Amino acid sequence: MTPTVEFRSGLREILPLAAGVVVYGLAFGVLAAQAMMGGLQTGAMGTFVFAGAAQIIAVERLVAGAGAFAALVAGIALNLRLILVTASIRDFFVGRPWWQLALGAHFSTDENWAMTVAARKAGRDVGYWHLIGGGAGLFAAWLLSTITGVLFAATIPDPRALGIDFAFTAAFILIARTLWQGQRDLAPWSVSVGMVALALWSGLLDPSWALILGGIMGAAVAGITGND
Amino acid sequence: MTDTWIVIVGLAVGTFAARLGGIVLGQRLPTSGGWARTLNALPGTLIVALVAGQLMQGSWNEWIAGALAAATAFITRSLVLTMAVGIGAVYLLRLNI
Repeated sequence: MTPTVEFRSGLREILPLAAGVVVYGLAFGVLAAQAMMGGLQTGAMGTFVFAGAAQIIAVERLVAGAGAFAALVAGIALNLRLILVTASIRDFFVGRPWWQLALGAHFSTDENWAMTVAARKAGRDVGYWHLIGGGAGLFAAWLLSTITGVLFAATIPDPRALGIDFAFTAAFILIARTLWQGQRDLAPWSVSVGMVALALWSGLLDPSWALILGGIMGAAVAGITGND
Repeated sequence: MTDTWIVIVGLAVGTFAARLGGIVLGQRLPTSGGWARTLNALPGTLIVALVAGQLMQGSWNEWIAGALAAATAFITRSLVLTMAVGIGAVYLLRLNI
């Protein structure tokens, strides 16, 4: 398959997923407006971070008044998984020039990674440019929807009254559903939720650090007690 | 520099480092064992911690809407539908009728 054909098929196949990203992106824009971000900051974040869930978690923490450090730690912790994402497709990058390495790394997200890996498992001869095609579609959808959201948010007097503040709780519930890998997640997830409950009800930690502590303790339980 | 720019620049650098790190470290990363399981479990444990924290800071309205969204997520696995049900439910519940 030539790069052009591969790119186009990646772009075409990501469209249904990009539609979901648009909804998510519009809601992110409303959240960004609550953090007093404008079109420039929202566009810069989407362009240079390009990681939806981490952007949401970080900006949500900023809105909650947690401060830059806690917001950054939460966002980066969530993105550590990307090491595993790109490591699993490292053969796509062998022998490529540096700019293709940088582009491919930046365009690797959960959605187009899953799409290209699934296409290969189905026996199709696709790789790097299929991933890039999907990434380009997601990038365009993410930038357009988040910037539209933040500019449009100025016309919504009170997002809370419309229930829009609940958009991400709902989105994260869906993400949790897709991340659930079965029985072996039960103990780590229970520990994570238990730590958050303990930290919040005791009042010893603010919500940002409760979240980080819960996530790390839960993951540690998976590392210590699980087996492969 | 404002907090927002610190977060944007820091998150951009950290995220790109993670993405490039996977490609560069590649073969040297453990694919099994405790560290691999920890890294693998981290997104899920962080997400459920976030949801738990958000619900605990809310009222009964948020818990009920969360339960409805979870049921939708479980049945349909659709992002758009789960968000629609969650937002719709919390909107109606907050009307207090």
